[in-house]
Amino acid sequence: MKRYDLIVVGAGPAGLSAAAEAAAHGLGVAVFDENSRPGGQLFKQIHKFFGSKEHKAKIRGYDIGAGLLREAEGLGVKVYLNSPVTGMYLDREIVAETDGAVSHYRADAIVVATGASENMVAFDGWTLPGVMGAGAAQTMMNINRVRPGSRVLMLGSGNVGLVVGYQLLQAGCELAAVVDAAPRVGGYGVHAAKLARCGVPFFLSHTIVKAEGETRVTGVVIGRVDETWNIVPGTQKHFDADTICVAAGLSPSTRLLLMAGCEMYEPVPGGGRLPVCDEFTGKTSVQGIYAAGDVSGIEEASSAMIEGRAAGAAAAAELGYISGGELKARLDKLETALASLREGMFAPKNRGKVFVKTDEGYDISDSLLRNGYLADGEATKYPGVKSVAGIHPVIECTQNIPCNPCQDACPKGCIKVGTNIVSLPAVDEKAGCIGCGMCVASCSGQAVFLVNEDVGGGFATVTAPYEFLPVPQKGERGVALDRSGAPVCEAEIVDVRTSPSFDRTFLLTFRVPGEQCSRARFWRREVRRFGRD
Amino acid sequence: MRLTDHPILGRPDRGRVVTFNFDGGEMSGFEGEPIAAALRAAGVAVHRYTKKHRAPRGVFCAIGRCTDCVMVVDGRPNVRTCVTPLAEGMCVKTQYGAGGGELGSSAAPEAADGRATDEKV
Ligand SMILES: Cc1cc2nc3c(=O)[nH]c(=O)nc-3n(C[C@H](O)[C@H](O)[C@H](O)COP(=O)(O)OP(=O)(O)OC[C@H]3O[C@@H](n4cnc5c(N)ncnc54)[C@H](O)[C@@H]3O)c2cc1C
Ligand code: SF4
Ligand code: SF4
Ligand code: FES
Repeated sequence: MKRYDLIVVGAGPAGLSAAAEAAAHGLGVAVFDENSRPGGQLFKQIHKFFGSKEHKAKIRGYDIGAGLLREAEGLGVKVYLNSPVTGMYLDREIVAETDGAVSHYRADAIVVATGASENMVAFDGWTLPGVMGAGAAQTMMNINRVRPGSRVLMLGSGNVGLVVGYQLLQAGCELAAVVDAAPRVGGYGVHAAKLARCGVPFFLSHTIVKAEGETRVTGVVIGRVDETWNIVPGTQKHFDADTICVAAGLSPSTRLLLMAGCEMYEPVPGGGRLPVCDEFTGKTSVQGIYAAGDVSGIEEASSAMIEGRAAGAAAAAELGYISGGELKARLDKLETALASLREGMFAPKNRGKVFVKTDEGYDISDSLLRNGYLADGEATKYPGVKSVAGIHPVIECTQNIPCNPCQDACPKGCIKVGTNIVSLPAVDEKAGCIGCGMCVASCSGQAVFLVNEDVGGGFATVTAPYEFLPVPQKGERGVALDRSGAPVCEAEIVDVRTSPSFDRTFLLTFRVPGEQCSRARFWRREVRRFGRD
Repeated sequence: MRLTDHPILGRPDRGRVVTFNFDGGEMSGFEGEPIAAALRAAGVAVHRYTKKHRAPRGVFCAIGRCTDCVMVVDGRPNVRTCVTPLAEGMCVKTQYGAGGGELGSSAAPEAADGRATDEKV
């Protein structure tokens, strides 16, 4: 039987990080993954990540994945692909199937980093072809490069629903609506705002009544739910759609931990079981077995990577490759990085809580939570939005999320988040913005705009991030859309910028009548009639 | 349905074009892509019909977990088309029930660890 110092199950961000960390301390490491490609969720994630530099913020998921894989392989980690691990036993033995052949492997320590699987919601017609998990849609469009459908309805307004919804638009699909039974948008407001300004309607306190179609989805009926989650009669709405994506949360894939006899607990009764483990290193009740990433509790890739590192370091110490002192020094550093991510209103400890004010005491926009966008006039209440002469940043980031690339990006110090990365970004109007656009391109939430309120002749310019094809050309005329996606005025593109440092985000500058510069936030090519809807 | 370009991912790197047979008709796809991707690109949504209720199923998880996408490939039933690479000359058939496998055999897709949607319909 082949043996390694450490076996890692799952080659996602947690698993690859654990492997790289342990290998760097000298352990012989093998990683097993059931997929034909490593990376777990990371290779499907094409958006720029949140967090700060130490969390690889503003780098796109697939680039983070490629970097991790290079690091692990460079350190001699053996990666077994197409190799589902089907069994795991007390004596740290695993059974993996490669090409139908079953092999046994043994290790002195095992890190289980098997991630999570998508939850499903049962509604009338939920098994019809065309109903799929949001993750499935993401795999199809970003890995297989085929559109999952032409017109999609998204159920779920958490970050997964919002991010996948935006990716559907980027792949050229139409997004009919984002629907969620909860009364408030569950994910980051900045992700919701990206969809809303493209014209995607949000239906909170709504759920799917049924999927229509005989052999495949042809439409969807939604309805409003009351406080007891029943459909309110007379509130039903029909949408044409050929695809329904369900983003109803994730459940940790704990099967192997159970098989190995790890102690489990149920944090919320009926809410699924989690391994009892060290919150940080993931050490379980069974000696030598660690759990890292989503399998130990659903969080994010950013935290999964740190948990993986901590588990890798703890395993190295357990096997005597590093001393207790070295482990402590390493963990202290990692813990600081993890703690900064676990702050703010979206932190795991705050799940389910409703915030009406930010940490700084600003009101949270009700419109943002219910419709996905800040209402007209609301933006100026926040510290990132100031009216100044000349070009200046306008930052519509209004919740305490762990993120600060905007601050790091500015060469002039115009943007201050401070040391606590969940603080709202504030604009320092005296710092002298030079209009370089780095803040716009670096913002993971696409929440930074540049505005020049007076470029002469009664006009203003607005610069917005743009990640769609075809890229507009200078001189093109179209319409400016407000935060809800409604057309507000004609707008001519006066500049289109791109640069390797913008990492595929284009910066569109369009000219609008001066009085529209606080409303115009997106640009659309077709000149449609406006003022009517 | 195929993405020919993408604002972030750029143009896809595809394998060579291969032809395969779907329910008696000729189709083409790219070598090495999942069979399900080639079918989706051709507008095929139904991969199988369940045994008891003859209810249609299509791609649901796209990562080989739910078994909703299984079909009869080169005579072998219960092949998860979302994770099985397409090859030249493959013969892909819509699967009815257990797909010719013995009824109630462990090969029946509903027995696999997944969504087992048959009970729900
Ligand atoms: C649409 C979407 C957007 C997201 N956006 C962000 C974001 O912006 N920032 C962020 O930080 N996080 C984001 N996340 C969350 C993030 O992707 C996850 O938290 C993270 O991937 C968890 O990492 P992991 O390594 O624990 O699991 P995964 O990435 O899920 O990897 C687990 C791996 O283990 C494999 N596996 C499972 N069981 C077995 C087995 N028995 N044998 C072999 N292999 C097995 C799986 O196939 C998989 O490859 C997003 C998630 C989604 C779905
Ligand atoms: S445009 Fe450049 S100078 Fe102005 S705020 Fe943004 S990063 Fe700073
Ligand atoms: S404005 Fe700053 S803190 Fe807010 S999402 Fe953008 S980069 Fe992050
Ligand atoms: S769609 Fe293929 S197994 Fe789930």
